[in-house]
Amino acid sequence: MRRWENGWRLALRLVLALVAVGFFAFPIYWLAAISIKSPEEIFAYPPVWIPSGINLSGYVALFRNGDVWAVWNSLVTASVSTVLAMILGTLAAYGIVRYRPGGENLTIWIISQRMIPPICVAFPIFLLFVSLGLVDTFVGLIVLYTAFNLPYVIWMMRGYIQDIPPELEQSALVDGLSRWAVITKVVIPMARGGFFATAVFTFIFAWNDFLFALVLTRSEVVTYPVQVTGYFGSQSTFWSQIGAMSMLGVLPMMLVVATMQRFIVRGMSMGAVKG
Amino acid sequence: MADLQLVNIDKHYGAVHAVRDVSLKVESGAFVVLVGPSGCGKSTLLRAIAGLEDITSGDIIIDGRNVTRLAPRARNVAMVFQSYALYPYLTVFENIAFGLRARGETEAAIRDRVNWAADTLSITDYLNRHPRELSGGQRQRVAIGRAIVREADVYLFDEPLSNLDAKLRDGMREELKRLHARLGRTFVYVTHDQVEAMTLADRIILLRDGVIEQDGTPLDLFERPETRFVAGFLGSPPMNMLDVTVEQADGIVRLEDGQMLPTDGLGIPKETGHYTWGIRPEQMRLAQKGEPHIKVAVDVVQPTGSKLLATTIAGRQKLTVELDAHSGVDAGQTITLAVSTTRTVFFDSDGRRV
Amino acid sequence: MTARVNELADNTTVLKYALVAPAVFVILLIGLYPFVQLALTSVQNVTMFGADNSFHGAVHYERLLGDERLWSALWNTIWFTAVALPIELVLGYLLALLFLQPLPLRRTLIAIILLPTVISPIVAGATWRLMLDQRFGPVNQLIGWIIGRDVEILWTINPSLVWPAVLVAEVWQWTPFMFLILLAALSNVDREQLEAAEVDGAGAWTVFRKVVLPAIMPVVVIAVLIRGLDLFRVFDVIWTMTQGGPGTRTETISIYAYQMAFREFEISYSAAIAFLVIVLLTIAVLVALRRVEIAR
Repeated sequence: MRRWENGWRLALRLVLALVAVGFFAFPIYWLAAISIKSPEEIFAYPPVWIPSGINLSGYVALFRNGDVWAVWNSLVTASVSTVLAMILGTLAAYGIVRYRPGGENLTIWIISQRMIPPICVAFPIFLLFVSLGLVDTFVGLIVLYTAFNLPYVIWMMRGYIQDIPPELEQSALVDGLSRWAVITKVVIPMARGGFFATAVFTFIFAWNDFLFALVLTRSEVVTYPVQVTGYFGSQSTFWSQIGAMSMLGVLPMMLVVATMQRFIVRGMSMGAVKG
Repeated sequence: MADLQLVNIDKHYGAVHAVRDVSLKVESGAFVVLVGPSGCGKSTLLRAIAGLEDITSGDIIIDGRNVTRLAPRARNVAMVFQSYALYPYLTVFENIAFGLRARGETEAAIRDRVNWAADTLSITDYLNRHPRELSGGQRQRVAIGRAIVREADVYLFDEPLSNLDAKLRDGMREELKRLHARLGRTFVYVTHDQVEAMTLADRIILLRDGVIEQDGTPLDLFERPETRFVAGFLGSPPMNMLDVTVEQADGIVRLEDGQMLPTDGLGIPKETGHYTWGIRPEQMRLAQKGEPHIKVAVDVVQPTGSKLLATTIAGRQKLTVELDAHSGVDAGQTITLAVSTTRTVFFDSDGRRV
Repeated sequence: MTARVNELADNTTVLKYALVAPAVFVILLIGLYPFVQLALTSVQNVTMFGADNSFHGAVHYERLLGDERLWSALWNTIWFTAVALPIELVLGYLLALLFLQPLPLRRTLIAIILLPTVISPIVAGATWRLMLDQRFGPVNQLIGWIIGRDVEILWTINPSLVWPAVLVAEVWQWTPFMFLILLAALSNVDREQLEAAEVDGAGAWTVFRKVVLPAIMPVVVIAVLIRGLDLFRVFDVIWTMTQGGPGTRTETISIYAYQMAFREFEISYSAAIAFLVIVLLTIAVLVALRRVEIAR
């Protein structure tokens, strides 16, 4: 490959790249713009491309009618289930790497759980939750997200833990740590980059889930994606609320992309591609 | 400071019998080297002492305490690993302090001990760095620092120098020996390198296929190898092994090609028969006029500066001789060699020394 | 407490199973219980009118065969997957080529492109629904500017436009995923091999076929597998944009199964559908893996 390029080619590439960026960024811009438009601007014809000012009435409405609790519900269920899945999943991954219980079969079984379409298990789980009284509770949603994300966590952490030289753990054992302390003092610090990346993706999956939240919540722990769909009424569509609620869901993801870019390939391809 | 005792240690990996009924006693303050070719069971044995490897049967006793069933942390041993096993996320100071912290020492004690260890190993300047900022030799020192900083009963070394280049290795060998003399602790050291074994040990345990082949001082093993295997393993260049026939009555050693070497009868086997004659390259010299000798053809000469290594042919057998650098011997010549039987060794057909 | 844990952990046999046991237990919640439940329900007769737990044999499975709405949902799903996947793959590849070599602000631009893949599909669907609004959306206005007169295209209502509308949202959200994976794969293609091929006088197409494609193939296969499985169970984005409508025009297998279970309360029948989907997916994955092995 040529190490240099003439200016025209570079310019052409840049222009094409910017067009692509425009295509992918514009819808999110449009969403953000709607969230800060005044109702008059939202329903102006022809549409207003650039809001004249920042109008937070959509956000204020969320706070006023209490819908903003949906964001809180998402935050709680996603965070707690992430913490649980990371703890259980990391321990299991470590056990699988170092002690090989159940051999290859266990790993294959665990990863196969990731392929089940949520819709197939949604109803049996719904029935189970009805009988356990877990429908529309934090506990129910958290347990479910934990269970659904565990295969992912185990699979990813397995990859990261395999990269740790066993001598580091052995050295710590001889130096005076128990086998338990080795996990917290050596394994997790060694895998901390991968650990955080995995945690972030686990959070994203729970944060963005819709189907389980739709099936398993009624009013108490409705999450933000369910709330967003609720604004598309059969009579009227609440544009500014859709914009505001969606933006509250998108903003944390912007943060993720900005800070975690180098982990995204590996996280999304389930470790198959080390970007 | 403590002694170490291994009693009838056996280790199976599935069908592989890695260690077979090994027993030995290491005196307090000794520097014992376990040496042998790869797969001889030396590392398994060391790891068993550390508690990193379960043994199939037998007992490990440290300082009179049976530690066989104890976790590694309860055995009070320290270990240096071949790969150094430094924690990349900790500074050198914290790496060295790791074992002390794990044992809940006070902050002041930790600082004292770490500074002492760093001082001993001349790594004080690097205490605030991370392992990735160090050279291989410096990492090696940190790894050793992590072990000596602890007041362990036994210090275990698993091929600690094998990742260093030749020059650094020579320097570290000397330093390890000095360190042992200074600390006066029990060292058990595993290596496949016979030079390391010879230079470091005050006692060598040579293992082969999971069995102790010979156990003794370096000179013992070098001069009085009990088996052909031991003789061949120690020494560089290695000992020459000649197929010979000994005629006891006449005191004559007959080489395979028919040459006869009269001897004074000392050091030769008591019975007439076929033997393998082990001669170290430095045990031969050019024969003077009238002296009993064997005649060999010089094939290749390799001057080393201080010496001249000549590869010669006696009949169909190769014989390496260490000669004076200025002996003037050259390839293609035929030379006569004098050799005394008093210090050379003979092995019977089972490879045992006679 | 800590001392107790430490002692227990010293027993490696205990530790071996104790480490994985909690995770396995929790996974069984979605990995075992639902299957038993599905298997039982699918041979009983549970509907909104009541639960008849007696054995009904394969009646629900027989019903699957004659259910035209099911087969059209399945056809929709396969069709949608078969169209979206190659588009995402090709667009992702072209995009990756664009970003393979240095470009001003490369990292930032890549980050912006990535954003759609990490947001909720619900938000993606909602966003495109707003974008495609016949009156207040920018898409129709843009088209109006281009053709020179105002238009009011009913993207999510007109049966012949609803699939393209959903497809745009889907492609918009997931092309960046393909892009990122292909970019990583292309960056790992051995430079020396490319140079050697150029020195040997190979044309661009030959270089692509003989050097680039073999190098990125394993990654492409994995990306296609991951996306294929996701597309096959597509629900969220279509649900927000059309709820499967108009009529059953955009009904996929997931949406149909949802409707059966949670709208019509045909519990037993929906269990049979779920089983069908799992069987189909398992076959698809096995076939895909077999092909991957053969390719190697």
